[in-house]
Amino acid sequence: MNLAQQIINGIVLGHAFALIAIGWTVLLGVARLVNFGHGQMYMLGAFITWFAMSAWGLPYLVAIPLAMSVGVGVGYLMQRTMLNLTIRQDLVSVMIVTLGFGYVIEGAAALTFGSTGQILDTPLSLMDIYIGDIWFTWQDIAIVVVTILVFIALKYVIENSPVGRRVRMVAEDPKLAQLAGINIKRVYLGVFAFEGATVALAAAMVAPRTPILTSMGFEEVIITFVVVVLGGIGSVTGSYLAGLGLGLFTAFFGAYVSSAYATAAMFVVLIAVLVLRPGGMTQKMGGH
Amino acid sequence: MTGAQSPVLEVRNLTADYNGNRALTIDHLALHEQELLGVVGANGAGKSTLVGAILNWSRGAPRVSGEVILDGEDLSRMDTPSRVKKGLLLIPESQLIFHSMSVAENLAHHASAADAAGRHVYSLDDIYDLFPNLANRRGHLGGQLSGGERQMLGIARALRLAPRVLLLDEPSIGLAPKLVLTVLRTIRQLADNGLTVLLIEQNVKAAVEVVDRMALLERGRVLAEGAAAEMRDDPRIAEAYLGGHAT
Repeated sequence: MNLAQQIINGIVLGHAFALIAIGWTVLLGVARLVNFGHGQMYMLGAFITWFAMSAWGLPYLVAIPLAMSVGVGVGYLMQRTMLNLTIRQDLVSVMIVTLGFGYVIEGAAALTFGSTGQILDTPLSLMDIYIGDIWFTWQDIAIVVVTILVFIALKYVIENSPVGRRVRMVAEDPKLAQLAGINIKRVYLGVFAFEGATVALAAAMVAPRTPILTSMGFEEVIITFVVVVLGGIGSVTGSYLAGLGLGLFTAFFGAYVSSAYATAAMFVVLIAVLVLRPGGMTQKMGGH
Repeated sequence: MTGAQSPVLEVRNLTADYNGNRALTIDHLALHEQELLGVVGANGAGKSTLVGAILNWSRGAPRVSGEVILDGEDLSRMDTPSRVKKGLLLIPESQLIFHSMSVAENLAHHASAADAAGRHVYSLDDIYDLFPNLANRRGHLGGQLSGGERQMLGIARALRLAPRVLLLDEPSIGLAPKLVLTVLRTIRQLADNGLTVLLIEQNVKAAVEVVDRMALLERGRVLAEGAAAEMRDDPRIAEAYLGGHAT
């Protein structure tokens, strides 16, 4: 095994994990909610991108915003449906509703796109780069660059903009935020729409690395869950670092032990971190 | 502050129920321009429920009905943020600031010129002139402030949102006696500067010194109402809150 190759694999995988999880980080940090339809939203983003390119012949750079727009619509619709549950913080019902949404999305996608696996080739995924024994693609570089840009932009917006300040106010105390004139329903809808957009972006960027199936999504939810919890719920920087760390861990575990047990190994890490540092590795957004 | 003037804030037939149990029944309560009205009463009298109901806001979930009229406009069908934008600003009893945000960040959120049309938005300079301690601690997190400073920051946050009427829910609670006086004098100063204020207060002895009028609340109903001087001599207030005799 080439050590440098595994480091490259780990870095790319880590950025992919972080990008897939970013929407959930904000969702959990702001609304104290989970979305178990996250994986199916990832799948939908991948298929919208694939369909736009293969059936409609749209360029990759047009297919990405299209997939993100659909993601915004699905996120908005999902939150609109369960807004009262969100405001009541009825977590059990929210879990069931999002799980249900996930299966509806999966069924609708299978009906629309079929159950056959597809390959989402992009102009970047077909361009290889070799440096000595090390191999990667321009798609891999794009994943790393886009992830870094999204995280920098998100961190800036959350910490420095009036919108970010409102989001943090809702995250810390939604009731008090109402007394500051903030419409928390609008913030919750916005957060879900953001989650939909970013998970679709992640799908459009990351899915070209593997075949896509309408039945996929479970692994993405697990990865997201681990990244968000390891990073400290609601922490943007924490999620980035947790994604990167988990990517390196998965790459090395897969290379030196067995990729078949990588998910189980992730959970061992998660359990260990939760036992040693129950709040995750870093501080969280709302300070709860 | 004359009776002939139209009230700035008026509530009519305001009720609040928790799980079917009535906690508040206010037939009529009015607040006039630049008036500082104190609402006093024992624990459980419905004081916090009253200010919450005016804003349609609560950390619980009461069923509220009745009319809330601000400058002649009926706000009853509006949600809490819309009432805030109209100028009804409540500083709740506890959890009145954002602890994970700095003092400066707590004060950065302010009313837009469009929302505050015709009302005064206190600038940061105004705020720091009024509360010099906050200027010294602007970089500190809200959670690092003392009880008195938190109360000041809570008031300052509300002032940044251009209040037409400021509603304060027991600002003296948990404060040392000296700080209670400071906080109440600051509230008096705000009223003298032109603000209309509704002050919920359990410390009747201190409140009666600063308010213009006072209403006594018992079991969710207004039992007595009048000028501060008259209310000080009311035997029901004197016996229950001022040490057993009228002063």
